[in-house]
Amino acid sequence: MLILLKGGRLIDPLNARDEIADLWIEDGRIVAPPQGRQPDQTHDVAGKIVMAGAIDIHSHIAGGNVNTARLLLPELHRTARPGELSLATAKWSTFETGNIYAAMGFTTVVEPAVAPHQALQAHLELSDIPIIDKATLTVLGNDDFLLSLLRDGEGPAAIADYVAATLAASNGLGLKCINAGGATAFKYNARTFGLDDVVPFYDVASRKILEALQRAIQDLKVPHPLHVHCNNLGVPGNVSTAIATIEAARGLPLHLAHLQFYGYGDEGDHGFSSAAAALAAAVNAAPNVSVDVGQVMFQQTVTISSDVLRQFNGVSSAKPRKSVIYDGDANGGGIVPYLYRESDFVNAVQWACGLELFLLINDPWRVFFTTDHPNGAPFTAYPDVFALLMSREARAEAAARVPQDALAHSTLPSIAREYNLNEIAIMTRAAPAKLFGFKDRGHLGEGGIADVAVYSPDKDIAKMFRAAHLVFKDGDLVVRDGRVAHYRWGKALKVNPGYDKAIDRRLAGYYERHFGVSHNMFAVPEHILPHSDPFQEVACAQ
Amino acid sequence: MKPLVLALEQEPDQRLDLSPLCPHLLEGKSAKEIAEIELQTTREKVTVGDLFHIRAGSAQTIRFEGGSTRLDNIGFEMKSGEIVVEGDCGKSVGRNLSGGNLIVAGDAGPFAGSCMSGGRLEIWGDAGDFLGAPLEGEMEGMSGGLLILRGSAGARAGDRLRRGTILIEGSAGDYPGSRMIAGTLILLGECGVLPGYLMRRGTIVLANPPALAPTFVDCGVHSLAFASVFSRLLEPESRAAAKLLAGPLNRFAGDMAALGKGEILYPA
Repeated sequence: MLILLKGGRLIDPLNARDEIADLWIEDGRIVAPPQGRQPDQTHDVAGKIVMAGAIDIHSHIAGGNVNTARLLLPELHRTARPGELSLATAKWSTFETGNIYAAMGFTTVVEPAVAPHQALQAHLELSDIPIIDKATLTVLGNDDFLLSLLRDGEGPAAIADYVAATLAASNGLGLKCINAGGATAFKYNARTFGLDDVVPFYDVASRKILEALQRAIQDLKVPHPLHVHCNNLGVPGNVSTAIATIEAARGLPLHLAHLQFYGYGDEGDHGFSSAAAALAAAVNAAPNVSVDVGQVMFQQTVTISSDVLRQFNGVSSAKPRKSVIYDGDANGGGIVPYLYRESDFVNAVQWACGLELFLLINDPWRVFFTTDHPNGAPFTAYPDVFALLMSREARAEAAARVPQDALAHSTLPSIAREYNLNEIAIMTRAAPAKLFGFKDRGHLGEGGIADVAVYSPDKDIAKMFRAAHLVFKDGDLVVRDGRVAHYRWGKALKVNPGYDKAIDRRLAGYYERHFGVSHNMFAVPEHILPHSDPFQEVACAQ
Repeated sequence: MKPLVLALEQEPDQRLDLSPLCPHLLEGKSAKEIAEIELQTTREKVTVGDLFHIRAGSAQTIRFEGGSTRLDNIGFEMKSGEIVVEGDCGKSVGRNLSGGNLIVAGDAGPFAGSCMSGGRLEIWGDAGDFLGAPLEGEMEGMSGGLLILRGSAGARAGDRLRRGTILIEGSAGDYPGSRMIAGTLILLGECGVLPGYLMRRGTIVLANPPALAPTFVDCGVHSLAFASVFSRLLEPESRAAAKLLAGPLNRFAGDMAALGKGEILYPA
């Protein structure tokens, strides 16, 4: 079917376009204007804004921790949509996740923390999310096998083989490292863990784990650089940890996740302040580093993280007062419900810090739009964050409501910058495609898959982004005026780096010896997933 | 002033959600508007007018003539005024009640008075399990007000009670006052196994105590000044309860398996 989107404003930073033009779609792909043919379907989008479908690079939408959060907070399911039947509204159900993302014009979402042993469950859950494409990042960095390789002084080739074998078995798109070594040290009663602290028993410093994994990803030519959740998340004065981690990258590609949670100084009466300016300067000076923000918004949420050490320390501030901490294989994890309050000094500093990072990091190609869903705020808050980024007035209005002493050490009130639509398109479309090595999405060029979001410009920016006018996924019209019009099933994107199969024999011996199970017990074979042809491979560089 | 009367005409063929029928929600509505309110919990639409014969009156007092165990959520989040149910009701009657007076002349289902924070709930018949208790996931049960049950309660009455008073004139099933955080639970009839299981603080008064868990510690017999004050307060609501608290009381502290700052009292 030939579809024409007529007369919209096309914003396509990857192809350097921002102009009024027609967009043609055929058989799920964007095509050149065909000569002398009539479209089967025409949408008049004059006065509308046409962008590629958005890509969320870091949103916890599936896996063991997400499910544990659902179990811990059944009351949130009841209040999701008052007035409708209670059972139809399980909050962040797979169904709602797909619907809400699609309605906002997002067509690809990356779940950034899947423990290898939970990969099967995570992929089963992802395959139950309608409409959008998904991907996972596989978590290593606290697992016994890796730390043993490092302790025994094995070379980079063995580590790269192990990483590749794990990525292949778990069908990951990239590698995530969460508080490298910290979760293991937690089991030896460590309650703080810095970049140069040494993991007991393994005698390996956190820094060395990070460097080894970064090197492995580099050697395997996986497009997405190592995705790092640094040590000391949420600790006052932790900006020094983040800056040290940036330096530890030694000029090689590195992605720092939810940087806002590392932008804290220890100044002022509360011993807690925003150090976003210093952190943004460090990011600006390190072109090898990309970051996502993890913006905090004031509302009830739940923090879910495989950083078990951090989550254990956060249990006392849980609201409602309940939590789950589990000390499992490798990372373990923690689920701590949390209420970000506008009147709270610390929460206000966090809120300001995130916005400062957005606004002070100059290059929109290296700063990504996230709330670390649901840790800073649920992804349903995205439209409100867009509004804050694009409007100085909206920021000033919101800043007037928070405790003013929280802004005393912040540069936020003095920042005049407003994101424009082109920068929003870079941050949410073009740059993520580049970051993950997607050639087929994040742009509106010919040959790209027809993931297209059409927005109606509105003075109310949040309203504009909350309900897209039209959304196409692979050329199917899935959303009309913010309502899902058509259901379909997306794919999971993954990489498949080659490796020396000798590591499989070693892993087989390891699992047999320690657990008495097959080493590929957590592999995700295609035939197990409910939809046919569930994966799409993203090529590694040659 | 004349009350608003809703006379049940037939047994409903599905469970109904009566939470819209609260004094503060019906204030100023005409009988026609009230008749159009939807109550269904299935796909089959049912309105107030389909089920009830409506006699208009001030919505500050709502009288249900006739009841059914399928009528759920009566008095949900009620803030003021009065509701009288002349019959049975289903689950969660008086859930989140914060003010006003709610009377059930028949039996109530489970979760009666769930998480109520004020006001007064009186049930003349029996109540199901989890009297005053929170729903799954919630951390606190009843947190204020007065809940009087003239009949008997099911299991786990007063689960996670936080504040306020529950008075049961009949008997109670197993684990009354389980996980109590604070507040007072008075039981005049027979008591099931393990009262005060994992209670942290608060007071349970039993007329007929069963064997207590070994995690309750005997503190001897007391003539508590507060008990006699409380006795006088309860006199208008229940003479039997007042009498129970008037004499000397055995005091057991517990549950030592939890915080252990609670107490179980029974006549010496």
